[in-house]
Amino acid sequence: MSKAGPPRHDPVPIGEVAEPPFVRLPDPSRIFAERAERFAALASNHPLASYLLFLAALCEAQHKAQDGALEPELPPADAIARAREFNMPPLDRNRFTASAEFDATFGRLLGLAEAIEKPAAAAEALARVAGADAAQRDAMIRNVLADSIPVEHLADHVYAAAAMQLHFARLATRLDDKRLVPVGDGACPACGAPPVSSMVVGWPRAHGTRFCACSLCGTLWNYVRIKCTICASTAGISYQEIDGGPEAVKAEICDSCKSYVKILYQLKDPALEPVADDVASLGLDLLVREAGYRRGGVNPFLLGY
Amino acid sequence: MNMELSRRQFLTGAGAGLAGTTLGALGFGDAEVAYAAAIRPFKLAGTTETRNTCTYCSVACGIIMYSKGNLSKGEKAEIIHIEGDADHPTNRGTLCPKGAALLDFVHSETRLKYPMLRKPGSDKFERISWDQALDRIARLMKDDRDENFIQKNNDGVTVNRWLTTGFLAASASTNETAWATYKVVRSAGILAFDNQARV
Repeated sequence: MSKAGPPRHDPVPIGEVAEPPFVRLPDPSRIFAERAERFAALASNHPLASYLLFLAALCEAQHKAQDGALEPELPPADAIARAREFNMPPLDRNRFTASAEFDATFGRLLGLAEAIEKPAAAAEALARVAGADAAQRDAMIRNVLADSIPVEHLADHVYAAAAMQLHFARLATRLDDKRLVPVGDGACPACGAPPVSSMVVGWPRAHGTRFCACSLCGTLWNYVRIKCTICASTAGISYQEIDGGPEAVKAEICDSCKSYVKILYQLKDPALEPVADDVASLGLDLLVREAGYRRGGVNPFLLGY
Repeated sequence: MNMELSRRQFLTGAGAGLAGTTLGALGFGDAEVAYAAAIRPFKLAGTTETRNTCTYCSVACGIIMYSKGNLSKGEKAEIIHIEGDADHPTNRGTLCPKGAALLDFVHSETRLKYPMLRKPGSDKFERISWDQALDRIARLMKDDRDENFIQKNNDGVTVNRWLTTGFLAASASTNETAWATYKVVRSAGILAFDNQARV
């Protein structure tokens, strides 16, 4: 027995009981600023640096557009109670109506976006959104909320999507996280939107658990690991990463529905951010797509893949 | 046209397809094309994460085993890491020191991987097949039972005991395996019956 050699394993944390909360609601006063910082950090030495810096500035605009914003209006209490009763998300995307508060914040966001350095196409798109009348804006918002963006107007909808992220994050943060329940696989318990990516977190008392990140409101919700976030299958799940690339970013591939959503191992790299790192790891999408899988994560900054 | 319908294969059709992505539509198409070209030489590396139950005791902690190489695609797989399963209600990600050393258990050069036989009088083990092992065990059990089975005790009461053979069952058995084990062992009359789970 003595010839077996030294142990090969790394020490693993063995005593941390994971008791993850079901949801972690977004803090809009921080998430956009942190996302902007992460985009800027990822831009250094990145082939997509120009785009990442543009998005850093756009997220910074999302952050600053909150200055002086009025209190957003939550759905009435009886509507939230009814949603809870039937396991539906309290923020109903289909019933969104633009309020004066929303229009003002949207306007501020577009104003701040003016100052961002950007290609002509992005500037033209911004001018189109800024000049759109109420009906056109409403149509854009409907498209964003339905995750169905017309391919010929992708650029315009980036600004509309940024406004909706901001609005829904400001709504979601005002919800009672104790009253949120699972509403279905691949659907945010706060607003029902699909995830952008998921993260295995290293939080205290939640070490090694996985959270899906909402593509719209930024809510994080606990979801069992090694399970497809799109079709909930637990069979045929595997993980692909770029050979020699960052080990902490992988594609969680499902052979049942032939799609994948990225999974970020935040416990290996605490800097990972669900939206920014999804964009910066576009190379992984290109390689996984070659293998015949469909992108399942929804990210308004990365449509068309 | 929604985005589901509008996906473009821009690696194959660069230029024409660019308008179909957010990057292209915003005017970052050049960076996109350069990035796609730069990423092309890279390959994917696959890992699998598999849920299992710790082999050691009856607590039956959930574990996640990370392996490189996909067996279902005909590759050779190797387990590279084992950790407690944070989703498992029994252990919630924790492991005892034995469980934390499972990777060494798996890769141990001295781990028993197939049936071994040390014949009476021999000083070493030799490898035998499962068929040989099961045949031999069945033969020896049958002979022993035929010889030592006690149908009635001294008072003439039917007892159907088989006291000369004992049985040690595995810990990480499913309920069905445990049920079948119990039925086989008890109906054969064996009284000395225990489970590795109590070790």
